[in-house]
Amino acid sequence: MNPYIHPVGARLPRLETREKITGRAEYTDDLVRPGMLHAAILQSPHAHARIISYDTTRALAVPGVIGVITGDDAGWGRSGPFVKDETAIAKGKVRYVGEPVAAVAALDVDTARQAAQLIDVVYEELPAVFSPDEALAPNAPIIHEELATYVNVLGLPVRGNVLQDCEISQGNVDSAWGECDVIVEGEFETQAQYHAYMEPCAALAEVDANGKLTVWSSNQSIFRDQSNLSESLGLPMSKIRCLSPKVGGAFGGKIEITVQPIAAMLAIKTGKPVRIALTREQDMETMRVRHPARIRMKTGAKKDGTLVAREVDILMDVGAYADDSPGVVGVSTVFSRGTYRIPHARCRGKGVYTNKLRSGAFRGFGGPQAAWAGEQQIDEIAAKIGMDPLELRLKNAPEPGREWMCGIELERSDLKECLEKVRAASDWKRRRNEKGRPGFRRGIGLACIPHISGVLSSSAIIRILEDGSAVLSTGAVDNGQGSDTVLVQMAAESLGLPVDRITFAQPDTDASPYNWGTSASRVTYMVGRAIVGAAEEAVKKLIKYASQMMECAEVDLELRLGGFIGLKGVPDKVLPFAAISGYAHWAAGGPIIGTHALHYDGPVLDPTKAVIKHFPFRFGVWTFGVHAVEIEIDEATGRITPLAVWAAHDLGRAINPMAVEGQIEGGVVQGIGYALFEEMVWDGGKVANPSFMDYKIPGTMDSPMEIHSILVENPDGSGPFGAKGIGEPPIVGPAPAIANALFHATGVRLTKLPMTPERVLRALNEAPRAH
Amino acid sequence: MTTTVPITLTINGALHQAFVQPWHTLLHVLRDVLHFTGTKRGCNQGICGACSVIVDGEVVRGCLSIAANCQGRTITTIEGLANGNTLSNVQQAFLELGAVQCGYCMPGMIIAATALLKRTPKPTEEEIREGLSGNLCRCSGYVKVVRAVQVASERGTS
Amino acid sequence: MKFYQPTTLKQALKVLANEDDARCLAGGATLVAMMNANLLAPSALVSLSAVKGLAGITRRKNGSVTIGAMTRHQAVADTAALDGGQRLVREAAALIGHPAIRNMGTIGGSISHADPAADYPTALVTANATVTIENSRAKREIDAQNFFTGYLETALEPGDIVVAVSIPAGVAGAGSAYEKFARVQGDFATVSAGVVLALEKGVCRHARIAVGGCAATPIRVAAAEAKLVGSRLQDSAVAAAGVLLAAACDPIDDFRGSSEYRLMILPTILARAVSKARVRAETVS
Repeated sequence: MNPYIHPVGARLPRLETREKITGRAEYTDDLVRPGMLHAAILQSPHAHARIISYDTTRALAVPGVIGVITGDDAGWGRSGPFVKDETAIAKGKVRYVGEPVAAVAALDVDTARQAAQLIDVVYEELPAVFSPDEALAPNAPIIHEELATYVNVLGLPVRGNVLQDCEISQGNVDSAWGECDVIVEGEFETQAQYHAYMEPCAALAEVDANGKLTVWSSNQSIFRDQSNLSESLGLPMSKIRCLSPKVGGAFGGKIEITVQPIAAMLAIKTGKPVRIALTREQDMETMRVRHPARIRMKTGAKKDGTLVAREVDILMDVGAYADDSPGVVGVSTVFSRGTYRIPHARCRGKGVYTNKLRSGAFRGFGGPQAAWAGEQQIDEIAAKIGMDPLELRLKNAPEPGREWMCGIELERSDLKECLEKVRAASDWKRRRNEKGRPGFRRGIGLACIPHISGVLSSSAIIRILEDGSAVLSTGAVDNGQGSDTVLVQMAAESLGLPVDRITFAQPDTDASPYNWGTSASRVTYMVGRAIVGAAEEAVKKLIKYASQMMECAEVDLELRLGGFIGLKGVPDKVLPFAAISGYAHWAAGGPIIGTHALHYDGPVLDPTKAVIKHFPFRFGVWTFGVHAVEIEIDEATGRITPLAVWAAHDLGRAINPMAVEGQIEGGVVQGIGYALFEEMVWDGGKVANPSFMDYKIPGTMDSPMEIHSILVENPDGSGPFGAKGIGEPPIVGPAPAIANALFHATGVRLTKLPMTPERVLRALNEAPRAH
Repeated sequence: MTTTVPITLTINGALHQAFVQPWHTLLHVLRDVLHFTGTKRGCNQGICGACSVIVDGEVVRGCLSIAANCQGRTITTIEGLANGNTLSNVQQAFLELGAVQCGYCMPGMIIAATALLKRTPKPTEEEIREGLSGNLCRCSGYVKVVRAVQVASERGTS
Repeated sequence: MKFYQPTTLKQALKVLANEDDARCLAGGATLVAMMNANLLAPSALVSLSAVKGLAGITRRKNGSVTIGAMTRHQAVADTAALDGGQRLVREAAALIGHPAIRNMGTIGGSISHADPAADYPTALVTANATVTIENSRAKREIDAQNFFTGYLETALEPGDIVVAVSIPAGVAGAGSAYEKFARVQGDFATVSAGVVLALEKGVCRHARIAVGGCAATPIRVAAAEAKLVGSRLQDSAVAAAGVLLAAACDPIDDFRGSSEYRLMILPTILARAVSKARVRAETVS
């Protein structure tokens, strides 16, 4: 079938590929405006300090400097998604080393950087805390003294340095331990992971003569940018226009505000367009990381493998600002139950401020931390009762007719299908019995992944142009994952138009309908649903006007492939969209526009079936994944080499299987980085490895070439064409699957990420030679 | 005292002139002076490879090349690979195999792959991985990237 | 900042003699990265790119090989001139960074920077190389082992330029190998080891070993080499050499590994280098 005519399910190359491979694609730092200035920031040397005064005289005296901003130029407006705690630039206090305290706009970037270093700031240093334990200690310094007065969207129980304190519980855990034949208990630690999008954060801001601000930036949501800018700058949204050129990767790191307020303040101050692009070092020091977590977990089962109870305490380091932390802590807490039916569960999550770089949204959104602990405990139980870990997972998988969690029942057991497909594809039994070559051990391990797609609201507008082609506007920003293409595929399928007859409107808050963001694995599912609805409305109008033109009843007309409305049962009685749209534009009815807007309306965690405290989302449709990773371990150095990965994902329907594979392969390698290499390290309050020289992400030689994507396609009733999201789940599996493979190969279990050669070797040396 | 250095570069077949400071890198001059913005800045430390360009036939880091030192050299950037609307074999294979996601690393990746195939027209999988080892990509997981280079190699080197 | 583009070594040396705080610009792989990070702002750059006679690899009749200071890593990695006991230098060059870095970086630049985790210092100390240094007044030669004097420190004085590195033919029938352990491929070494061996009927009659990444400079221990000479390179002899080397090392803790870890794996990295070199020596003899 021609992929341009039957686009849903087609392996269509991304529509913007030619731009990207010829160097024509424009990212924020490629944009130039007449009279544009270049900006640079001054960063805080202190982890926690009161700002006493600024002296910008020396900076302003540098030839070529046009303007300087400091906290004095910022208002007290604060922005943020849950607890609004961030001013446009540090004001009153600094709360982490590296925090932007001032910025310079100059004719060129060299001058701006030089001048920024000439701004003198007087600080009064305050005691600082660098871990949740320190922050929770009695008499610990308080990072946000006015926390109780901040806008707190969900009424979270903030107190002291505690930002989030949530619980999801069911059954009676305390009495359930008595029913268990085997109980495993442990403490797990995860590290801060840096997003390492290849494009550092950048923004370009400009103010017109009427005071309207326009901001181009690398982001995941033009609407979150607009909202955050409005809150911190104190401007009405109608005075702020946000746009998104191409985005060089984001992975959660660009869903909330980055450097847009700094560019905006400088543009307002100088009256000139101002562009700022962070250096890689600055990006690593000032943006966000995945939450470091300490997880205490206890899981109990009967000796036949039936899971009975689980108790979880998650403690996350939020860093200096709340950002998406209330959400991440909450989602991690839900996902800590894993993919299993566990009748008795008590899961609690706490997020605590520290004087470190903020932790934020990052692909997986709390899932990787939870799975690191939970999936290892499943294997521990399997080992203790002598059961194959795949069988144990099958036995406890959700299935129709039985409650899974918080009142939710699922229509199918997609997890079981994922498990069976991974079992077959990986030749699980044979590989479980493979031995390594001399000097090396070989093992294979599993991890199951729970995730959702859905969350919050989206909308779409489809306009049929005079010639019958169409414009699709959704406000959804493509971060590189391919949503522009997938959304056009769905619009094309819905309208019966070839793909090249639909154009995707670049996101622009002045013109695009609202989309919360490119996050939570939600664009395909949520924006896709909006598109299907908008297309239905457009088709309805096409039929209405066609009926007037053909003088027949609307019910006798149908949509035909290629952009036609035809008379049912009469093949040659058709009108092309061009004729109908021309009629609508020039004769009667008016231009054909289809719109649809929705808020997530699917299954929710039922508060009457469970204790649900401070969980910040209604949540989404469930999706499952299973990863098996085969590894080799060098006995002498402790190095783990992933050899092959089998990744089965329940995604309803693959709108574009090639793009889906790209998400799986990329997520798996990012997960391998999390498992083996990546760790942001602090020296006191300072990020000690803010460069790609010291912070290593996997390259071609460090990544397995054998990544088998297994697409489990059981159309979801609510999804567009049955589709669910696939953006996040692939990053969750590798770390616990590798840990389980390590245990399988060596009998050694690591509880702390990443699994560096050093940690592996020490564990091997300490372990009795059981294998 | 600062010397301003006049340089002449042949970029994608055309002569360009610029006045540069001694510390200016080729990457800076390409992007911010001559507006060849296809070449990307990812780390400015020579690690990520987003700034890879071909200088006198060999792939180098734009961010580690001092512009003044490039006087008279011949440079190929990502903008210079296609022949009009006809993509190079490497570009075409990257497109067809879906190797491109956010695209930010791609100018450097495609330049590195082009240089690799010039040096080793029929590389093994291992040679492709080694040849691209200095180009970080955070989206793709590299599988489709390596396959694309294999496909380009099977089709010839142009 | 000033920029100089001399075309002769004499011109270059003259500039260096007259400019305080001038830096030679060789390949740029390290210098420019440091300038970009604001770690360094020299008063002048003296480009060596146009200086005639600084690049190239020459094999002399006596078997020694001279590598001009401006020779790129890739050229060294590709050369057929280095074999036997010299081969590890080629092997080390091939493991430096990535293709683009190897096309830029030069042997003179690398050793002048003298990072003990870089590949050349350890390989050159193992291969008993000699570094030729020139300034506006004189020219001198110094053993690689004495060239590296500390962490990022060398025997270079202000005004000096490394002009060449010479690797002697060494012992006939020798085999050599360079082994490196790094966090990810292309990174600087966590631990590296260079080995040159010669065998006679399975018995080691010559050994030179150095390890990198484990101290401020490459470490060579005569007693460790003595453990191998006369042995059949059995595991116990190699392990004993490893123990002696480890005792002489003083690694730091950094992102590439803790001090302890480096010492833990050093004997293994050494053993792997020995085993490779041994196979090569056996093939030669």
